Amino acid sequence: MNHIYDMLIVGGGPGGYTAALYAARAGLEAVVLEKLSAGGQMALTEQIDNYPGFEDGVDGFTLAEKMQAQAERFGAKTELAEVLSLDLRSDPKIAETSEGTFYGKTVVLATGATPRELGVPMERELAGHGVHYCAACDGMFYKGKTVAVVGGGDTAAADALLLRRVAKKVLLIHRRDTLRATKIYHEPLMQAENVEFHWNSVVTQLLHDGKFTGVRIRDVFTGKETDLPCDGVFVSVGRRPATELAAGQLNLNEGGYVIAGESTGTNLPGVYAVGDVRTKPLRQVVTAVADGAVAVHEVQRYLAGG
Amino acid sequence: MAAENWNTKQFEKAIQGEKPVLVDFWAPWCVYCRRIAAAYEKVAEEYADQLTAGKINIDEEAQLADREGVDTIPTLTIYRNGKALGSIIAPGSKAKIDEFIRETLGE
Repeated sequence: MNHIYDMLIVGGGPGGYTAALYAARAGLEAVVLEKLSAGGQMALTEQIDNYPGFEDGVDGFTLAEKMQAQAERFGAKTELAEVLSLDLRSDPKIAETSEGTFYGKTVVLATGATPRELGVPMERELAGHGVHYCAACDGMFYKGKTVAVVGGGDTAAADALLLRRVAKKVLLIHRRDTLRATKIYHEPLMQAENVEFHWNSVVTQLLHDGKFTGVRIRDVFTGKETDLPCDGVFVSVGRRPATELAAGQLNLNEGGYVIAGESTGTNLPGVYAVGDVRTKPLRQVVTAVADGAVAVHEVQRYLAGG
Repeated sequence: MAAENWNTKQFEKAIQGEKPVLVDFWAPWCVYCRRIAAAYEKVAEEYADQLTAGKINIDEEAQLADREGVDTIPTLTIYRNGKALGSIIAPGSKAKIDEFIRETLGE
């Protein structure tokens, strides 16, 4: 007979490893299925200053390793497995992965979200070194410097407003000639003296000479290319929840996020969604870890037949 | 066996053999290199009878990295009989590294 875990946790970010920690401490047998390394998005964040308990901040990769080690101290397991498909309706639930098939009485979906990328060469290599996806997280590194923000939605506008207070100059690059962002953002942005707009422009290249030096943009109408020297670029072109595995099984909202409330319960019994992948007002490490704990509480009730 | 850091001399000796050699070009400041480190160790272990795995810190062996055409890290390259058989840059999962090894070794 195949081994059946109490809980399959898909994704090894802060939500996933907190679920693993709580599960292990509750005496449940849990395995984290993670394709690469602990941490998810936060593993690429150099300094996290809004996670309580680290007065000097902590780098995301280290925090992730600590969360993993803490969960494993109590017996949680990790498999470096890429989940290829999930059957969330069967009993037990089934995860087909690059390292074989796993069975679980419950599934905690902690697959997170990924910032949409620009899709230009060197982007991944320069991530965290000039190329950033979270102004609230990394903006402080650019005190008194020049930064570019790419995008025209609410996130981009909020990022530009935040960075305008930190940086010497903010270059806002948007592929249209108006912002898509909510009206409340427009006025303060237009009036800010240190915000320079580059309309109808897309980033075609990241400039670097060993380190990041700027971006090359192309005018979408004339095709003319211009180099904009800057110290960093914040990519705010949206986020993509990793819900491909749940498609057709879990109810998703129009943004692709799994519909789940504070209890983390989804439309399927025994299936929970934690962290950035679920519908929620604030996507941060602190809210992801809270979800992980709540999910285990719910799992225990479910397994007890409640 | 854990993948060891090699200098240029050790690298040159290692890649001459019939047994394939997998090399991880990395640097301490490279965030993504840290992310693949655990998966790389696992791979080094799992494929130990098929290949030897090593690492090159490109800050310490800059000329070698240059000569091998590594301008992006992490780069994983497989060598045999002194020749590079193939490379993969910044793999997104352990499964991607597995796939790269299997394809490069023609299995």
